[in-house]
Amino acid sequence: MAMQRREIPEFIIPVSGSQDNLLSARWGQGLQLMVFSGNGKRRYMAGEADVAVNLDKPSVVHDVRWQTDMHYPATRKLAAQSHEIFTSLQKHTSDATDGTKKPQLVKFSRRYRVAMMECLEDLRKAASDMAEDEGDQDTYKDMCQLYQQLELIWNLCEILYIENLPGGVILQQLLDWVKLHFTDADSLAAKIISEGEINISKDYWSAVYIYVLQGRLSEARHLLSMNPETQHDVHGAYARIDELMRRMPVFSVFSRQSLAEFDLKWRNWQEICQQLLVDGVFVSYQPLETICRILAGQQDVLDQLQDLAGDWYQIMVTKLLYTNPMVKAVDLQYHAKSCMDKFRGSSRLLPLDQILLAALEYDVTQIIKISSSSLSNWWFVAHLADLLHHAGQLETHQLDFGATMREFLLLEYASTLMARESMWQIIIEYLEHCPVFGRHIYPRGSVLTDLFAVSQSICKVMGMRALQEKRLGTALTWCLRSQDASFATYLAEKFLTEYSLNGNFSNLDLIDNLGSSMLVSDRLTFLAKYRDFHRLYEEAEFAEAGELLLSLIEANLAPKQFMLILLTDALPLLELDVVVFSSKQTSQLLMCKENLLKWYQSEEYTREILPKKSKGHVELEKEKMELLQLGLSRNLSRALLEESVRT
Amino acid sequence: MVSIINSIDTAHEDMIHDAQMDFYGIRLATCSSDRFVKLFDVNNGQHTHVTDLRGHEGPVWQVAWAHPMYGNILASCSYDMKVIIWKETNGIWEKHYEYTGHESSVNSVAWAPHEFGLILAAASSDGSVSILTHKDGKWEAQKITAHNIGCNAVSWAPAIQPGSLLEPPSTQTQTHVKRIVTGGCDNLAKVWKEENGEWQQECQPLEAHSDWVRDVAWAPSIGLPHSMIATCSQDGRVIIWTNEDSAGNSWTPKILNTFSDVVWNVSWSITGNILAVSGGDNKVSLWKESLEGQWVCVSNVNKGEGQSHSSTEAQPDQ
Repeated sequence: MAMQRREIPEFIIPVSGSQDNLLSARWGQGLQLMVFSGNGKRRYMAGEADVAVNLDKPSVVHDVRWQTDMHYPATRKLAAQSHEIFTSLQKHTSDATDGTKKPQLVKFSRRYRVAMMECLEDLRKAASDMAEDEGDQDTYKDMCQLYQQLELIWNLCEILYIENLPGGVILQQLLDWVKLHFTDADSLAAKIISEGEINISKDYWSAVYIYVLQGRLSEARHLLSMNPETQHDVHGAYARIDELMRRMPVFSVFSRQSLAEFDLKWRNWQEICQQLLVDGVFVSYQPLETICRILAGQQDVLDQLQDLAGDWYQIMVTKLLYTNPMVKAVDLQYHAKSCMDKFRGSSRLLPLDQILLAALEYDVTQIIKISSSSLSNWWFVAHLADLLHHAGQLETHQLDFGATMREFLLLEYASTLMARESMWQIIIEYLEHCPVFGRHIYPRGSVLTDLFAVSQSICKVMGMRALQEKRLGTALTWCLRSQDASFATYLAEKFLTEYSLNGNFSNLDLIDNLGSSMLVSDRLTFLAKYRDFHRLYEEAEFAEAGELLLSLIEANLAPKQFMLILLTDALPLLELDVVVFSSKQTSQLLMCKENLLKWYQSEEYTREILPKKSKGHVELEKEKMELLQLGLSRNLSRALLEESVRT
Repeated sequence: MVSIINSIDTAHEDMIHDAQMDFYGIRLATCSSDRFVKLFDVNNGQHTHVTDLRGHEGPVWQVAWAHPMYGNILASCSYDMKVIIWKETNGIWEKHYEYTGHESSVNSVAWAPHEFGLILAAASSDGSVSILTHKDGKWEAQKITAHNIGCNAVSWAPAIQPGSLLEPPSTQTQTHVKRIVTGGCDNLAKVWKEENGEWQQECQPLEAHSDWVRDVAWAPSIGLPHSMIATCSQDGRVIIWTNEDSAGNSWTPKILNTFSDVVWNVSWSITGNILAVSGGDNKVSLWKESLEGQWVCVSNVNKGEGQSHSSTEAQPDQ
């Protein structure tokens, strides 16, 4: 019998207590165990029944969960966003023709990447948020790094598999790829420029070299032109190098140039570079000589600049740019291999290296396989595999047990979401797109649909109960779980009434985190957006706040009674030193105010609402309206004045 | 990534025997030799003590949450020979019903799938299993003489027939059959079925263990083409029993693993694809069936002062 060595992940629970206390566990929801140091049911026979052996008595129960990547606020948002992209992708591809399919798929791919970037941004914020505890900050930092890598891989896959431009000339996209992900030069340059006087330091030349290595010649020329030496360039060396860089031919699929034509131009250009080196034009200008050697495609210069040239895949792009700009996508693997051998040497290949290499070798299965086993992120593999499946890149890869890899991965992903009941609906939709496993053999869909139906009715009851106890926040939480639109509207109104009575919201964090669940009802959407307005205002983002307020007023989502409050909210914005509302916006506000005035005079109002209001209240409203009139007219004149100055 | 989200100090003054999360994963019930049942609200790494339930006069072995469609209901069983059903009304937890029909320690309680109604099974050292049914506001008890020397554990079969989701029966509306599995001191596990209101043994006892059966767990994997039961025993073995035909007559055993010490507890994840095993080796291990049908250990939880790391262990390639 063959022995197979396999790594079994081990998790240590920090508990004290003697060896005789046995570790026990009970399942919680999803991937959750309640672990405690009890003794199971360790008993001995004593008379007619078991009695517990009396040992130490640790009293702590540990709530242990795993695969919790998707349970952080930032990744939860990613889960929600990518779920939306996923479902529209499934819908889209069923009715797309071949001609429109590809550009659409590229769009979907980019939407996923945008979601990833957003997640990355949130993670970065969280990692530097002092309010988070240190352990969490470290987790977020690790996740930042992971998502950066994921985005890098996804982008490359998008270039190679989704976008794959006709003709297979791929260099320009690879350059963009490098430019997007490796921004050291930009930050160096920004620092140098911000210092005012250009200091010709090591950093300065580093920035220039990196720009040249990345093929970003206009940036390099810009930086060079700032060098004070260009002012007294007696030998014309700076002018020469500038000219060289300016005239470097660039191939674009969209230009009318043929490949042969480009090839000819490019060779001519590089011969000039080489000739200049032979002539020793830059001999007394060491840095310029280095640049020219890069342009001339000399290999040894890359070795010298290895610290700046980046990882093997960046070096590969540089090398291709200056030696083989018309390289075809299918040939990339040879270049990748040789660069890897040369620049990675004997050091161990990291998963990222292996995945990128697999991508360049067009080995889709390998990408997915290494990603699943080493990145511990089912979100990535599941969505990437699904996208590649739609692009027709995954079709031939069947696993032994008959289901496509895509489905297997989607199911794994769905089960990592399982531990949060708020994700049930998302899970169900993923399962529904797994025709082989999801609906039938795999039991989960049915269990969940079942649970979901039951839970909805329970949620409604719980919501009503909480409302009767006047606990609005709890009621809203239950209501969202039950997806009951009319109840949500009712509750949102309760919140708004509460606000109009005492001027602040209860359950702020709940309202702040509604996310897409705000769409359950219009009124709830309004509530969430209105709260957004307050947040923006508090953060002194006045322009955005003003815009949001205006759109809220215009959208007519608010109850009529609330309109005055909204307009009053515009008042402090009108009093600011800067003009927030443009003349056009001010007129819109004025119009709304007039409409409100009309309503105050309408029969409906005088008959039904007015009698319920106290005299003081009516007076106060009148006063507010007058203030508004004043504020708006003043703002209109200021805005007009300012706009006329600008034009 | 494994992490301890929360560590809840229950303040139990004696050994903890059970810790169960409710349906929504927001409330935790624990029980202990100190005779108390304790409730905690758990949320995002926070927890608050809700209440202590005092009613038992001996160590409390196990607790079980009823399905929330019946309200907030918890059952507990104890060495004091009692089963107590607790209920929350208007935020106050009270004893709802006390069952004293056993003549020895009650070792295990389990609620039936909610489709059947509010029904509880309790297994006792007196060798019998009680089925308590809530009907018209009253509790009715039925007793099954299950294992000669004593019964250690009981577990319900899921309400849906295996495989029924694959080929829904078109001819007749499905009637759910109530089934339980019990494990006892006669080294056997037995499958029982209710027919015309009577509980009867459905098939030959599941015979493979050489010492007391300590725990039984029927996998909740409804929709799978077969039923699955896990049993564990004093003899150190964990056995997975599968039943391919829906008539339920033949169960095939497969040894999941033989441990170096007694195995006290087996439990299935909510989706029924991972089995947690805890035993005398002071470890909790998680097992999953591979695509080739082999059971493999996917994770270990150990005691110690440190943090998570990996260890390489030889795995027999069966």
